[in-house]
Amino acid sequence: MKKLLALIMSILMVATFFTGCRKKDNKSKVLRVAALSSGYEATKSGMWKEVCDAFTKQTGIEVELTLEKNLEDVISASMQGGDYPDVVLLATGREAGLTEQFIRDKNLTDLTDVLEMTVPGESKKVKDKIAGGFTDSVATNPYGDGKTYLMPMFYSPCGLFYNKGLFEQKGWEVPTTWDEMWALGDKAKKEGIYLFTYPTTGYFDAFFYALMYSVGGADFFDKATHYEKDIWDSEEGKLCLDIVAKLATYTNPKTPAQANDQDFTKNQLMVMQNEALFMPNGTWIVGEMQDAKAADGFKWGMTALPAAKKDGDRYSYTWIEQIWAPKGAENQKEAKQFIAYMYSDKACEIFAERNAIQPVLNIADKLSDDNKLFYSIYDNGAKAAMGNFAAYKSVAGLGSVAETFFDPINSLVSGSLKKEKWIENIKKANVIMRENLIKE
Amino acid sequence: MNAVKRKNLFVFLCVAPAVVLFFIFMLYPTFSVFRMSFFERGAYSNKEAYVAFENFKVLLNDTRFIRAAQNTIFLIVTVTVITMSLSLIFAYFLTRDRIFGGNFFRVVFYIPNILSVVVIAGVFSAIYDADNGLLNSFLSLFGKKITVLWKGEETVIFSLIIALVWQAVGYYMVMYMASMSAVPKSMYESASLDGASRLYEFFKITLPLIWTNLRTTLTFFIISTINMAFLFVRAMTSGGPNGASDVVLSFMYNQKDDGLYGYSMAAGVLIFLFSFLLSFAVNRLTKRKVLQF
Repeated sequence: MKKLLALIMSILMVATFFTGCRKKDNKSKVLRVAALSSGYEATKSGMWKEVCDAFTKQTGIEVELTLEKNLEDVISASMQGGDYPDVVLLATGREAGLTEQFIRDKNLTDLTDVLEMTVPGESKKVKDKIAGGFTDSVATNPYGDGKTYLMPMFYSPCGLFYNKGLFEQKGWEVPTTWDEMWALGDKAKKEGIYLFTYPTTGYFDAFFYALMYSVGGADFFDKATHYEKDIWDSEEGKLCLDIVAKLATYTNPKTPAQANDQDFTKNQLMVMQNEALFMPNGTWIVGEMQDAKAADGFKWGMTALPAAKKDGDRYSYTWIEQIWAPKGAENQKEAKQFIAYMYSDKACEIFAERNAIQPVLNIADKLSDDNKLFYSIYDNGAKAAMGNFAAYKSVAGLGSVAETFFDPINSLVSGSLKKEKWIENIKKANVIMRENLIKE
Repeated sequence: MNAVKRKNLFVFLCVAPAVVLFFIFMLYPTFSVFRMSFFERGAYSNKEAYVAFENFKVLLNDTRFIRAAQNTIFLIVTVTVITMSLSLIFAYFLTRDRIFGGNFFRVVFYIPNILSVVVIAGVFSAIYDADNGLLNSFLSLFGKKITVLWKGEETVIFSLIIALVWQAVGYYMVMYMASMSAVPKSMYESASLDGASRLYEFFKITLPLIWTNLRTTLTFFIISTINMAFLFVRAMTSGGPNGASDVVLSFMYNQKDDGLYGYSMAAGVLIFLFSFLLSFAVNRLTKRKVLQF
């Protein structure tokens, strides 16, 4: 009897270990949405919850929301097991590069037909609501075949941020060309202020895209982001790299030591405390640093990148967060409906309340005062730069674009890497990236 | 069913859960790591292509990996030597001499060990701050203002060493104190009657008598340093600036983000073999006749 009991107990023990493996039964359809909890959510929480509720009210489709700051870590494990959320809001250009991996593996649902869909609860089509140009770049059409795989969600102009108060105090002009920039750098140096800093090298991507546009226009940008042969030996290519390398010599030497996820706010603080004049950043910086102690008379200012030559074009990069649907997800139809709903007046309003601005027409009326200033950068003569480096098949030992182009800037600043060596490495990588370019 | 068979069945059923779990969570993943290192695949797609030893070939020529491996080995050697000697010395003084507030020090030294790595990273971020950091402010006390960039390219690895040692010293000190206090006092007394110096006592009595303990902790420590280094790098430096503080495990982790799962696993295989051989070697090299008191 005793042994029988022991037997039953041990069988039970084994059995309980496997109960966790049972798959969830999905009888009623639930749309699973995974969204990154970013700075917008920090300002005033609950925007995604509200939008999901509004969607359920409109369409009757239940939504299960996963909202995390470290979204990649939370959803990647189950995705490796083939269990995908239906809709994902996660931009390209993040450190974990999860969205890029989906682009590379061609694991995204084609969303071109969403543009033709009517926004749930409204009479307008999605494509009539989205502002022009936002669904034309590599950021949304990664394979350059006119098909949209990622929809533009929130956008933010990126540029150089500075202390407007300091410029007024000293009577300095914000430089409009790189020559003026260097002159200002020398002038500021005499007063013990460095010209430049950056939070982490990751912030160079938006900077570099705008730089490529301002140096060589859309044509050069296109060639360079598709790794054209000898592009870094061309006039424009050389100039781009020269400017970055020269900027490294004007950078506050403390920057690289703080250019990590732990200390990057210390670099941002340098601009607020007049230890450096400019840094590349986005509009979220205002909320992010609102509790930091700034120098007296501090005011945020933002400018587009200086032009390459006098009266040349100035650019500000438009950073776009994308929303997309994994190919392996179950509820594709509902996912598309959800994405279409993102452009409804109701959803835009909820998002705009937290300063999360979507590229829809007439959004300007919903902007807060701070943001009006930033978003008006395009009205004040700066052109919008959009797009990013084209996806290429991962190659072992090659490293990412960020690792090749931007990470070494830390070493340029500290002087342990020669400019020539940096350029040589970029050229070498450029060849391999071109060979592995993903084409449709 | 006779009694023997029933007994065997009973034993089998008792052991089965543990064995099953061991297979599922230990052996199968380890086997998978080895298998996947021969393939090329992304993390989120099931397409994979067999590439034989290609991943390993590239890995051994990848300058980033080589740098990470150098950093790891440097960390293992220095952190082990410093931590072991410090904790031995502290333990020796705290057990042999009745130092005022000995128990207090014991607790204080142990505290870092119960802090989470993220907290430690935060603490050291403040200590290493270039302007107002504890360390630079302290150094500036003796003369002109010093601004060492502790997390800069040249010094970052030493900053990691300091943090790693600080974190581990207390734990091992307590371990050694336990075994040292088991050494009979009479041995020291007779040694001192024979005119042995303190140094002589330490090397000829204390060390040989706690050798078994020392050996075990040494192996543990080397393995844990490989892991702890990864955690510290993730939390403190993100591998930066420009890979100056990358270790093999953080290299492996980053390759996963680049969509190179097979390549990342190849790095995993090398790390596995390396730590396996290293602990084996340490075990062999430290083998001595066990002394008893």
